Amino acid sequence: MNDGSGRVSGRVASPADDADRAVLLRVADGQLDALQDLYDTYRTMAYSIALRITADAPLAEDVVQDAFLGAWRNAARYVEGKGSVKTWLLSIVHHRAVDAVRRRRPTVELPEREDVPPSSLTLPDIWHEVAGNLDREEIAVALGSLSDVQREAIELAYFGGLTQQEIAARTGTPLGTVKSRIRLGLLAMRRTLVGDDGSDDPGSERSSP
Amino acid sequence: MTHEQALDLAAAYVLGALEAADMAAVRDHLATCPESHVEFERLGGVVPYLLEWPDIELVEPPASLGDRIMAAAAADLATRGAGAEPAPQRTIAFPSAPEREARARTRTGRLGWAMRIAAVVAIVALGGWNLLLQNELGAARRFDQAVASVISAAAQPGSQTVVMTPTENNQASGIAAIRPDGSVVLAMHDLPATKGTEVYETWVIVGSAAPVPVGDFKVDANGIATFTTRPTQAPPGAIVAVSREPRPGSTAPVGPIVSTGVGVSPST
Repeated sequence: MNDGSGRVSGRVASPADDADRAVLLRVADGQLDALQDLYDTYRTMAYSIALRITADAPLAEDVVQDAFLGAWRNAARYVEGKGSVKTWLLSIVHHRAVDAVRRRRPTVELPEREDVPPSSLTLPDIWHEVAGNLDREEIAVALGSLSDVQREAIELAYFGGLTQQEIAARTGTPLGTVKSRIRLGLLAMRRTLVGDDGSDDPGSERSSP
Repeated sequence: MTHEQALDLAAAYVLGALEAADMAAVRDHLATCPESHVEFERLGGVVPYLLEWPDIELVEPPASLGDRIMAAAAADLATRGAGAEPAPQRTIAFPSAPEREARARTRTGRLGWAMRIAAVVAIVALGGWNLLLQNELGAARRFDQAVASVISAAAQPGSQTVVMTPTENNQASGIAAIRPDGSVVLAMHDLPATKGTEVYETWVIVGSAAPVPVGDFKVDANGIATFTTRPTQAPPGAIVAVSREPRPGSTAPVGPIVSTGVGVSPST
């Protein structure tokens, strides 16, 4: 298990992370100008992610509003050491956006509406290995190590808001194959980004074709 | 759910790619199972990088979105004062102007019912006074009548009162009552006149849900609006907002929000 300071391969918090944390403290204090600062820093990324997932500009705006209000109300719940403020905030955006597209799909079983986004986000609890410094070029390289089908499965899950069953149906692939594509894809990315796959198990590197 | 079943779902779980019931089952498992969950960590540690997926086109949101968010946050701050949600309180050395304004509203929220009536009367007097200064006696009377209907609506059991305050760079203020059926009776002044197809839309916002449009109105040069909206779901603490829309029929605020307030029921 990780100790919570959670740095892998010498990743350290950047000065931008520290500045973000200072802003978030003021947000937790109920300072509106701090929220404005946070919004100004991340509005473009937040909106772009929401738009990518929803493919619907008005819905993306609602998602971003929802996410920033969630951050506004719950800034005090942000736990240092479990990822950067940027990751925390953009994860809320991601979560809300996926929630919104699933709600739009009548066939999907709806999760219970949770008003407090960070508590519903158990995911960041296991994300603490990333201290910040997300980098587009780095991820592009990491994605290059994935097979097309692995990349497709991860993209449909993370940006399409599809469940693994839905991915199986959409791509005409057995569920077990989808599971292994997602898993092996994530592990391949991990090897590139972090330098190891966190495992002693060297096997099972190939996905099914 | 067994430990092995949870492990089998780990990759989909960290991506959020499970049905709601499975997500919840895995979450419960993680919270209670004493065994190691390294698999979740090694897979989950990668997920934040996906936020930088390279083909995400960077798009600037419309400027009105920031205004909406800030208006909603300011209204939320006022709600905290009304006791709806405990606000973390620490000393702040230099509150900004919007914050001072929000805090003033917070204090209003803490006033007793009698004090709020007094505050309303003061606002009414002020509204009338400004209009009298502008030598618009007819408009002043209209506003007074509008306020009288708001007060009479507010006096009904189960009604909430709303003090409408202007957002940044706006002057529009007034009072409103939310009746038990959720319809909003508004009396506003200092609203810039609508032009062409423009309308003012009234919105009711409950919690973090999307704003619900409840009715639009036009305003002439005297800046007065007296209006009753459609009924909607508006529990105590609901936010009433007025935005200036380019045309009727907006389903989400497109134009700037010019005035907001929070519903307060006498019992709180």
